[in-house]
Amino acid sequence: MPFRQRNVLPGFRLTLGFTLLYLSLLVLIPLAGVFVKTSTLTWDQFWGTVTAPRVLASYRLSFGAALLAATVNLFFGLLVAWVLVRYQFWGKRLVDALVDLPFALPTAVAGIALTAVYSKNGWIGAWLAPLGINVAFTPLGVFVALTFIGLPFVVRTVQPVLEDLDAELEEAAASLGANRWQTFRRVLLPILFPSLLTGFALAFARALGEYGSVVFISGNMPMKTEITPLLIITKLEQYDYAGATALAVVMLVVSFVMLLTINLLQWWGSRSHAPA
Amino acid sequence: MSIEVRHITRQFGKFKALDDVTLKVESGELVALLGPSGSGKTTLLRIIAGLEFPDPGPAQVLFYGDDVTHLPASQRKAGFAFQHYALFRHLSVFENIAFGLRVRPRATRPPERDILQRVETLLKLVQLEPLAQRYPAQLSGGQRQRVALARALAVEPKVLLLDEPFGALDAKVRKDLRRWLRRLHDEIHITTLFVTHDQEEALEVADRVAIMRDGRIEQIGTPDDIYDRPASPFIYDFLGNVNLFHGRIHEGRVLIGDTAFEAARGAGGPQSQAVAFVRPHDIRVTREASGRSTLAARLVRCHAAGPVAQLELERLDGGAAFAVQLSRDQFRQLQPQPGEQLFVELQNVRVFSDDYSI
Repeated sequence: MPFRQRNVLPGFRLTLGFTLLYLSLLVLIPLAGVFVKTSTLTWDQFWGTVTAPRVLASYRLSFGAALLAATVNLFFGLLVAWVLVRYQFWGKRLVDALVDLPFALPTAVAGIALTAVYSKNGWIGAWLAPLGINVAFTPLGVFVALTFIGLPFVVRTVQPVLEDLDAELEEAAASLGANRWQTFRRVLLPILFPSLLTGFALAFARALGEYGSVVFISGNMPMKTEITPLLIITKLEQYDYAGATALAVVMLVVSFVMLLTINLLQWWGSRSHAPA
Repeated sequence: MSIEVRHITRQFGKFKALDDVTLKVESGELVALLGPSGSGKTTLLRIIAGLEFPDPGPAQVLFYGDDVTHLPASQRKAGFAFQHYALFRHLSVFENIAFGLRVRPRATRPPERDILQRVETLLKLVQLEPLAQRYPAQLSGGQRQRVALARALAVEPKVLLLDEPFGALDAKVRKDLRRWLRRLHDEIHITTLFVTHDQEEALEVADRVAIMRDGRIEQIGTPDDIYDRPASPFIYDFLGNVNLFHGRIHEGRVLIGDTAFEAARGAGGPQSQAVAFVRPHDIRVTREASGRSTLAARLVRCHAAGPVAQLELERLDGGAAFAVQLSRDQFRQLQPQPGEQLFVELQNVRVFSDDYSI
């Protein structure tokens, strides 16, 4: 939008100015600090820090588990939203409130609870152990924790879109001969796609930055169950501030590129049917 | 017969939306289901489409004699158009129309070339060829409804069902579109049932009109038939403005006040107490009492802006008010003044017994 364009809504400059100041104070300046601190390292030092084998293993776990958890949340979040919107059942409000719990719970509490339940002598872990499945203190545990904290995102982004969806669309599809699956695939999914993508991106970003719940359930074994945020904390504890920020820079850049890609995807997806 | 429903009953809780409805729509016919809101007309249409189901019992829905009562909507081959169009907003006009062809099972799905051709033919039929690549959000209401019709026609349905197709459009577009629908129907002759609450629309477009009230079909017939020979005071009132005169039946005529008028008998028993129904345009107004039977009345107010002049009169015996419509010519000749005493002659009087209420 050109700056000079006359607009019936007043306050464009004021609100934009405030937005920029607000984002600068809260996001841009602190993040720039990360880059500034990192720049005290030489390129070789930087490269050596961010490609150390222990660090590379932590990237794999952090990004891999976050991506996997967000994907799982994509499907089950859609399912939960579907059930909450489409069906009436006893206790629906309670289930609806439960979905938000991972938002509200201190993540450390979640981590401790998950560890207790999924460890070998926990309620669920005790049943899984004989099958050879160990959850606590394995990468699987990291994945479980990240799935837990990412659950509300997809549900809460898809739910309002699903609620607004006109039942007549499905009836129209049916009267044109489409079966249930075709109606879902060709009518509902394209309409839900942008909100699913948003939910996915949010869940992914949240999982990537998660620390509190993971450190309890993962056991933090180097090369095996160590996530990148934990390595950053470790470096901070060793007063290696520049090293810590170097890792932070890598995480920042990679997650920014991923979120940007998702945003572009979304823009591309919604471009076609937006009114011109 | 082409669409036939037998003994359809549908109850929502305590409310009986449909009460043992039986209806036949002949092959190639355009029939309007007319009724006030809550009369069950949309429910009936949705049951025919398979979007809703009748209460268990002897209910049957038949297309061309085939029983489709237990078929799901997707297998009935009934084209359906919704009041709010229900277009797929993420698909272009072209893809909306092609939808029904693309979801066919592989074995019966036409090749891409044929789909293209079929959609183009339909775009031409609904006069939207230049808009094929637009999205629904970029179309006007009238254009959207035409896309919806083309989409329904693409699957070569056995019957076409339209639920208040012009209900969400403004008056002018609505009139254009219903004439267009009539022409379209004359062109393709598909058996069509359409729901409306607009009596003008039903009378203008349909071959036959079925009037519904409280979950039942009250009368079915050609528009002329229904307008000239309403079976009940309800239909009389529903089809247009009407004046009521209370009177008595005496030797085949109706006595209103002290004046006797010729009257046709509507439904009702042989009671002597009766209500006479007269349309505002069936009342002649004169300044002098003619030799024929007339009622004396005083003109309360009149306004002549519009295609007809509207007069409001009050009977001198008792003061009951009634409305009269005069053509502009008649109005100019008479030049009535408010407060003036006039004489009215009632024509096309229809009498129903007194216990009938609207």
